[in-house]
Amino acid sequence: MTRLDLLDPFEVARLGGLEVTTKGVVEGFLTGLHRSPRRGFSVEFAEHRMYQPGDELRYVDWKILGRNDRLYVKQFEEETNLRAMLVLDASRSMAWTGSPETLLPKLDYARRLLAALSLVLLRQHDAAGLITFDDDVRSITPPRSRTTHWHQLLRVLAGAKAGQGTAAEPALRRVVEQLRRRGLVVFVSDLLLDRDLALTALRFLRHRGHQVLVLHIMDPGEVTLSGPSEVRFEDPESRDAVVLRPRDWANAYEATVSGVVASWRAACRRHGIAYHRVLTNTPYGDVLREALALPRRAA
Amino acid sequence: MIGFLHPWVLAGLVAAGIPILLHLIARRQPPTVMFPAVRYLLATTQEHQKRLKLQNWLLLLLRTLLIAALVLAAAGPTVRLTGVPGHAPSALVIVLDNSASSAAVSGGSPRLMLLKAAARGALARATANDALWLIGADLVPRRGAAAELRALVDSLEVSPARLDLGEAISLASGVLATETRPGEILVVSDLQATAVTAATPTAPLIVARPGGPGVRNVGIASVATGPQPWASDGGRVVVALVGDSTLPTPVSARLGERPPRQALGRAGGAVALSLPGVPGGWWTVTAELDADEFRLDDRRTGIVRVAPVARADCVAGDRYITAACDVLEANGRIARGSEVSVGKLGGGLSIVFPPADAAELGAVNRALERRGVAWRFGSMRTDVAATDSGPFVGRHRVTVRYALETPGSGRTGVLATASGSPWAVRSGDVVLVASRLDPEWTALPVSAEFMPFMDRLINRAARGEVALVETAPGLPAALPDLVSEVRLAGRAWRAEGGELFRPSGLGVHYLVAGTDTVGALSVNVDPRESVLESMADRQVRRLWRDARVVELGAAAAEAFSSGARGDLRGPLLWLALACGVGEVLLATVRRSTA
Repeated sequence: MTRLDLLDPFEVARLGGLEVTTKGVVEGFLTGLHRSPRRGFSVEFAEHRMYQPGDELRYVDWKILGRNDRLYVKQFEEETNLRAMLVLDASRSMAWTGSPETLLPKLDYARRLLAALSLVLLRQHDAAGLITFDDDVRSITPPRSRTTHWHQLLRVLAGAKAGQGTAAEPALRRVVEQLRRRGLVVFVSDLLLDRDLALTALRFLRHRGHQVLVLHIMDPGEVTLSGPSEVRFEDPESRDAVVLRPRDWANAYEATVSGVVASWRAACRRHGIAYHRVLTNTPYGDVLREALALPRRAA
Repeated sequence: MIGFLHPWVLAGLVAAGIPILLHLIARRQPPTVMFPAVRYLLATTQEHQKRLKLQNWLLLLLRTLLIAALVLAAAGPTVRLTGVPGHAPSALVIVLDNSASSAAVSGGSPRLMLLKAAARGALARATANDALWLIGADLVPRRGAAAELRALVDSLEVSPARLDLGEAISLASGVLATETRPGEILVVSDLQATAVTAATPTAPLIVARPGGPGVRNVGIASVATGPQPWASDGGRVVVALVGDSTLPTPVSARLGERPPRQALGRAGGAVALSLPGVPGGWWTVTAELDADEFRLDDRRTGIVRVAPVARADCVAGDRYITAACDVLEANGRIARGSEVSVGKLGGGLSIVFPPADAAELGAVNRALERRGVAWRFGSMRTDVAATDSGPFVGRHRVTVRYALETPGSGRTGVLATASGSPWAVRSGDVVLVASRLDPEWTALPVSAEFMPFMDRLINRAARGEVALVETAPGLPAALPDLVSEVRLAGRAWRAEGGELFRPSGLGVHYLVAGTDTVGALSVNVDPRESVLESMADRQVRRLWRDARVVELGAAAAEAFSSGARGDLRGPLLWLALACGVGEVLLATVRRSTA
């Protein structure tokens, strides 16, 4: 059985719409987990399902095996105790891909990733909400735990168009209005924004007791510099431009990017914020695993 | 001073501008790419911009230097090494110009002395490891050790021959072609402008020439004695003068040792002198000028054949022949007698025309055969032709003619042709003409040349042509038919008619066929040697690319400079290599640190 969560995101995207592919990703993800993401939550038995390679043996129902000679694992329902707010950067820079033939634009990738994440949360009966923003807050979907809420989130995600600039700080501040209790904030952005303002807002959220996860979406084309012998690079948001020879500057650029990532990671760690850099060619499963594990580690 | 073996390669220095050109071209309108992370790029470039700018300029400099060094190396640069005693084993060809003009006296001594001193100086610097040659005006390369060539230089006299310096340099280049040692050509010459001809030396060329003002000269270019033979009542000679002196100079001419006749002439002009009558025979004509700094061309000899006019028996009844004979007799060019039969086959010298009646042709041919004449009248040809212009007859229309046929090769004895076929021939003492002297046969009788033609026909062609040939020492002269020997004052050379003869000395050479003297070869100094003006250094360098023109005194120091010149190709190639390595390193560092 092919696990969609471990396929190339571009290949997965070609299978169909947001809903279809996301369900596939989440099914694959949940099926393939060796360690349950629900560990630490109180659980009660819900149903049986067929054993899948990778399932922990402690959940195998030995009685059924003895009776029917078939492998079933026990599944549990959890109590809803988490409210998560997903914050999506839908600025113009997020609409970029370095390789349109093989890679999704960052925004499309982030859409699918958040759809999958929200489905995972909703299946755990956690509440999930969504805020999209560019140079202003574009949509606010309050967190709900109903399963049907997922389709609402999907509609908002599908309707999120790439805007203009990036103003993360107001969007992050609006999270507080939506999360009265302590919850989880997942901030998905390419972080091409005002770093100090964004960090201040993230610190503020952390200060309010929320677990904060920053998913730094990067296109592989932003990590390594390539192109013709001499190119004029132009920022689609600010229209700033620079002319240089990619071959000459590739190493220095990579060092700068590494420095930026390291700087974000250090700043986040300093304030107890989980940070994960996500390349748009990374399978969703890997990212989901990280996304669901990191907040606990950071905490 | 830096010299180049292949200076034309220096044009490739333009290529040194290629890196700059590429840089400028590459700067134009680079493609624009949307890139969200421009802020990272800006942060990167701000940090490295200044250093990279410096590296860019350094790279540009290194690339330009690399190309320039390669081009310069390809041009074969050499530099004079100073303060280095001796020289590497070399091959040196000395062209010592001992041509006639080197006899000109300058500053109280013949120029040849100065030239020889310069050559000796160059030879004095030779070592046992050098290969040495000496080429003189005879254009014979002589190889020897330095001492041998010094002795040869000491014994070298002025040659009456002309030396073509371009030819000498080509010869020297050929001599050096097989040498592995660095070769060099040293031309020691007065650089007479008329002797400097184009050449492409394949080895470094040093030209040593005397300094100081040139010598003004006037000499005799030619002595023309006119149509031969002269009548016993004398004749006229025309003496042409050549040179760069503008002053009038007395010219004298004499026959043998008879008293001379004198007149005043100028260089570039000619003087006509009438000489008195002398008895029949061969007479030497000597034209002379007053002595000046160049003596060799102040005297020139020629030759004349003196003989009484022919006694002709002209056929009666032929209108044009009769009229011609009357006019020639009236002018003293012929006398009435039986020496030459004109228009009929007589017992002695005869000039035979085709008969008016074709029926008589067989009888004429039979008579010719009986006389042992090798030619016959053949079939009549009525196609329009023209005599081929030559010394015997000019160009005239020929309407009717008989083919002149011979069982032999047909190449000997032909005096004139009409459209390529023999028209007038001589065999023994009989001259055959293919057309009758009638306007219906040829336009010759009604032309202005008719009388001179008849004069030549009776006095020269019928009695035997006198061959007078002029040439200069060393230059070839074609010997006339039948010549078997060439004689000069007791010396004799076996020869064959038609071959080329190269006289080595001056004077009148007699051309002998068997026991008869059939002509003479006057050998005098080439008139081009009389113009002593030297060629300007600039023109010399233009004709002989890359030649170094120096004063005679510097010849010794300049000789063997090829062996004492440092080859800069090695250092330049090392420089190019260093530039290449530097470029690679810098580019690598630039990429890794950029």
